[in-house]
Amino acid sequence: MSNMHRRNLLKAGMALPLALNTLKLRASDNKGKPPRRIIFICNSLGFYPPYFFPKNQGDISTSEYLKDVKSAEKMTVFGNFFHPGMSTSNHDSEKSFLTGVPNPEASNFVNNISLDQILARKLGSDTRFPFLNFSIYDRGWGCSWNDRGVAIPPMHNEEQIFNMMFGEEDLKAKKLRIKNDQDVLDCLRQDLAQLGNARGNETGQQGKLDSYKAVIRELEAQLEHEKYWLSTEKPTVEKSLSTDKEFGFSTKVHNMFELAKIAFRTDSTRVITFSLDWIYGAIKVPGATGGWHTLSHHAGRPETIEKLSRVERDIVKHFNQFLFEMDRIREGDGTLLDHTTVILGSNFGDSSNHTCKNLPTIVAGGGYKHQSHVEFEKPTALCNLYLELLHHHDVDIDKFGSSVRDMRLL
Amino acid sequence: MTPWKHHMGNHRWRFVVCASTVVTYVCIVSIFGIAPVRSQELNKLPNFPCSSSDSPLTGDAKKLFMTYCLDCHDGSSQEGGLNLVALLEKNTFDSTFIFENVITGKMPPGDMEQPTDAERSVMLEWLATVQDKSEQKSYRRISRHEFVHSVNDLLGVKLDLADSIPEDRGTRDFDSDRRIMLTKEMLSAYFVAADKMIEFAFPENGYPPDQSWLTSQIKDSHPTYSSYVRDYKDGLLFSWTRANNGNNYSFFYEGFTPSVKGWYEFTFDAAKVGDFAEDISLQVYAGKYYFADDRPQPQRLLDVISLGNKDVKSLTVRGFLQPGENVSVHCYSKHTWRQKTGDQGAYIKQLKVRGPVLEQWPPKPFTKTFAGLALNVPQRETQESVVGKTELQQIGGRISVSSFQKGMEKEKMQDGSTRTFWHTRFTPDVAKPPHYVILENPASKEISGLSYATWSGGNGNGQVKEYSISLSDDGNRWGKPIVQGHLNTQWSTEQNILFPAKTSKRYIKFIVTDAVSLDGKSLASIGKLDVISEEGVDRKKATNATVTVASVSQNDLKRVIRRFAEKAFSSKLSEEDLAPYNKASLDSLVTTGDFVRATKIGLKSVICSHRFLLAPGVHKRKSYRAAAYLARVLWLSVPDKRLLDLAESGRLSGEMVRVEIDRMIKDTRSQRMVHSFCSQWLNLRSFNSVSPSLKLYPVYDDLVNHYLPLETEAYMNHLIHENLPVSRLIDSDFSFLNQRLAQHYGIDGVIGQQMRKVTFSPQTPRGGILTMGSVLKITTDGFTTSPILRGAWISRNIAGNTLSPPPESVTAIEPDANHVATLKEQIDAHKNQSGCYACHKSIDPYGFALESFDATGQWRTRYQVEKPHVGTFIYRPEGYFKLAGNVESSGMVGESTFDDVFGLKKILLSDYKKVAYNFAKKYFEYANGYKPTLLQRIELFKMIPTVSEDCRLKNLIHQVLMYSVKGGRQ
Repeated sequence: MSNMHRRNLLKAGMALPLALNTLKLRASDNKGKPPRRIIFICNSLGFYPPYFFPKNQGDISTSEYLKDVKSAEKMTVFGNFFHPGMSTSNHDSEKSFLTGVPNPEASNFVNNISLDQILARKLGSDTRFPFLNFSIYDRGWGCSWNDRGVAIPPMHNEEQIFNMMFGEEDLKAKKLRIKNDQDVLDCLRQDLAQLGNARGNETGQQGKLDSYKAVIRELEAQLEHEKYWLSTEKPTVEKSLSTDKEFGFSTKVHNMFELAKIAFRTDSTRVITFSLDWIYGAIKVPGATGGWHTLSHHAGRPETIEKLSRVERDIVKHFNQFLFEMDRIREGDGTLLDHTTVILGSNFGDSSNHTCKNLPTIVAGGGYKHQSHVEFEKPTALCNLYLELLHHHDVDIDKFGSSVRDMRLL
Repeated sequence: MTPWKHHMGNHRWRFVVCASTVVTYVCIVSIFGIAPVRSQELNKLPNFPCSSSDSPLTGDAKKLFMTYCLDCHDGSSQEGGLNLVALLEKNTFDSTFIFENVITGKMPPGDMEQPTDAERSVMLEWLATVQDKSEQKSYRRISRHEFVHSVNDLLGVKLDLADSIPEDRGTRDFDSDRRIMLTKEMLSAYFVAADKMIEFAFPENGYPPDQSWLTSQIKDSHPTYSSYVRDYKDGLLFSWTRANNGNNYSFFYEGFTPSVKGWYEFTFDAAKVGDFAEDISLQVYAGKYYFADDRPQPQRLLDVISLGNKDVKSLTVRGFLQPGENVSVHCYSKHTWRQKTGDQGAYIKQLKVRGPVLEQWPPKPFTKTFAGLALNVPQRETQESVVGKTELQQIGGRISVSSFQKGMEKEKMQDGSTRTFWHTRFTPDVAKPPHYVILENPASKEISGLSYATWSGGNGNGQVKEYSISLSDDGNRWGKPIVQGHLNTQWSTEQNILFPAKTSKRYIKFIVTDAVSLDGKSLASIGKLDVISEEGVDRKKATNATVTVASVSQNDLKRVIRRFAEKAFSSKLSEEDLAPYNKASLDSLVTTGDFVRATKIGLKSVICSHRFLLAPGVHKRKSYRAAAYLARVLWLSVPDKRLLDLAESGRLSGEMVRVEIDRMIKDTRSQRMVHSFCSQWLNLRSFNSVSPSLKLYPVYDDLVNHYLPLETEAYMNHLIHENLPVSRLIDSDFSFLNQRLAQHYGIDGVIGQQMRKVTFSPQTPRGGILTMGSVLKITTDGFTTSPILRGAWISRNIAGNTLSPPPESVTAIEPDANHVATLKEQIDAHKNQSGCYACHKSIDPYGFALESFDATGQWRTRYQVEKPHVGTFIYRPEGYFKLAGNVESSGMVGESTFDDVFGLKKILLSDYKKVAYNFAKKYFEYANGYKPTLLQRIELFKMIPTVSEDCRLKNLIHQVLMYSVKGGRQ
């Protein structure tokens, strides 16, 4: 069923047919175009630049980290992006990753709405979850910030996320709330009807009552929409999460990508952010144990860089696997990856000295004309890319954060 | 893109160089957003008094314009781009700009022949009649602030939810703006907020016991900062610790868990330690504790305690907590920067937390909403717990271990910290496995499992990967393992191991079967190990107290809903009017028999109704409408009983309106109006969207940021309540300060953080709102100051100049901070462009006088320039800047020159009428939701007395409101 179709039903105030239910595991077998999806991944400690960026301009196969990526032809690496106003910062810079607001380290910093939340408004209305927001640890904030600049706490527990998307749920309280709200709306409608009869001609009153009626109708449609999802069974999915204890960090990263993949595959959401935030204490990945943060301040020591690169290779490995598996799922005339824009980036260009210049940035999938590697001569506002992404997703806006213009890079 | 963007200067200030001249718009230059307002939208309210539109004076007016204006503004000279000859031919055009220049006496210029007052009136009335007219919407939606205050007052609670409701003001100046529509998103947010507030007033699960916790333990903090708090006497000594990112590092207290959201009381037994005159500030924050992070989380400042006492005293503050939140403290004193040793700082012996605190029992929402009905009120329990004891200690247990390393003994697992830990012996020799811990349960209490945490902050050596647990009656013969399993090695939080069944056996053995070993040796380490026992004090099952209503009568229910609705709607309701609001409640009462639950649905219908959300509502008579209006403007709420009684008896008119306005301003609820009006009129709502650079202004901190807007509010509150002259807006010899603000302003002798009236010496460049830090801060970008932004702010908010926008073809110039000597020259340059000069000559000069104040409002004589800095930013009190060129603060307004801010104030004071007129216009817009029409402006102007000292603020507010009420009743 197309989006348009469903919206029309909503406008008519009708209950939605349960056809969406049949989508189940196939992301979309509808006749129209497959939906567009997007995921933002913030690797909060960046990547060691000499290993991340291709050595030869334009050739991704000369990147130490990316040379073995299987979906290289569906990927572009960008060099020399930055957020204007931020040349160096501390770890708070992660707050600005998807907002571009400078000065995040100030004590009374106020953030802005993040890119994913604008996209969720556009893409979020047709899925059970308007957006999902993951992190590795429980920290209370990640990449997503609402329109008041308040952090939307990310979810970090794989089990909970899986259960939220696919597990059974006690809906009694939610159903009761919707029923109460509908009773309230009935009351308000009746009051308006009585008033309309009694004082329809009074100056000014009619316009006021009409505008309120219109708002009530819209709210009614929203309740129907919520009811629809409450009465729609969740998709059935086999649990494919890893439980490997040996490499806890690695397992976590793998599982979050896995959850993102099945969320897209089941069309549970179309917008995801994933913050790879760091924590004190040691982590263990194949080939290295140590504090990720401690290692990131390598100060050029070869043995530390070697250990750090093990952590970063591990992250790239999971990212690579995510892209590969997304690309294997057929959808419409392409693959799930072709309809999903994947952005991997960071708030740090070089976390060893906390600089925020030359931010590592990859755009993959999304059906764009990919160009392997693009290096800008001058530092370029990352928000230009964000603005372009908004345009690709039909958000009509002429500025986002520090954007100067849509550069039509993709 | 419109030219507006050139004035936006979102992060760095810009100014515009204008290249042509167009005067078509009324320019509204705001600091952070621009509200281009086409003057056609400056509409008139149809039911306000106005002169007849077919004025017989039309002919006279045109003659007067020809006499006084055409010398400069005829078709050939067109000074300022104005061709009056062409305009005089028109029947309607946007005359606002000309009107404002004529009414404020700016035109004709002082050196030209002036019209008499009567002639000026004729000209103004003509301009008002030719003004474009279109219908102004006759209603507005109430703002989120009005919603929250009203519902709080109606229910008898105090819940600040305004921040959880989206801001729908957009770029409008005032919340009340009638152009803002009620949207589905807002109504949906109100539905959610209504649920939360009603649930808070009448909690489904009753009220938890009145709990109190006593603690002197803080949670683990980041190793970099934990050294600045240390054991001292019976408690802890804190020094002033700013984290490397510049945030105030605050330390979380351990051990209490707010079970529900609500108001809690925090009593600190604390004293100042140190031989200096100033008080130490104890900043109390609420937030969620995350160890994983060294960055203090976004926390809310609950309150500040001023410590001047050398002996321990109990000091109490209140704050609202959500479940899962804790309290943290930061201690500020400029004398105790990061002290690891020594006897200086804030000594906190212990903290007592109590709550949730209810003002009365049975709670107010019940006695208010169900007044006259019998309530079933059970006793509310009280509970006390002492924090710090582990559960093992609480059940009288003991602990023993297989081996230990010196300094890493078994007690370290029971001291509440994961930074200290037990470790098996590794020197002089390495202890042989098995490594184990035995927990003894001598009183045979029921134990359902163990709680384990790794030691945090180290290299992870010895962290338990696998374990096995066995039980014994005598400590010798051990049964088969009852549970075996994995533990996560990287978590800093507790991991619970639940037994298959509860046990009361005397001995529990925790055997480490595998652990992290970085060097291949057999080791084990544990940060925390404790039993999980139902019999611990903290886990005692608390019984909630549920208050119910004895009645199940439908008539009682109707009465309850009626009383609530009539207050919310400010009207009397007929049976028919009330019926829809009763229906759902009555249905619910019939099906559930639950009176309180049934009431809640009715209350929600009332506060989601258009009668409540759209103002004016549906009022039985005009006096009810006036009552609702006054309560909304002065209290941001609904009328109280007295107002409703006056409305019902039809007495709310004439002199009684004046008496009531006075009573309402005296009421503490009027504080909300002062806060709301100031934050909108002076743009203080944007206060926190400017972050002063820590490199340039390292001493700026949370505390001064907290108090700066309070100064402005306290000052305005004083001016209004004391009915002081409008000139005090510009200058006075006092303000409201505390120790921190006085420090910021360089004023000696103010001790303690209580705000109080402070009198300035004549040399102090403060007094009046222009020189307040709050205003000086919001008119910058946090880095450099901009004379243009500050000038525009004064022009617009204080002086009331009407400005035009820059034309289309303009380019912005970025100032070069390193060459500040030429800053003024740069700005002067655009004066030479005649197009720019027309406007900027009345904008920039104000800003030049304020150049003596930096972006945080501190006095300066030289500019600060940021030093180039690479690498990680690390906060340091001396900042990263060097001093550059001297500040130049002279300028010229009109024909008058000034040397500095003192001179500027004199010039502004000489034209108090303009300031008063602007204030009246702003207050009118705040109260009525639209800019006054030109005819209304004539009326507002008439309110201004001819003697400056007679022109008083409360009088102006009175007159604006009386005028509005009268107009609304026509």
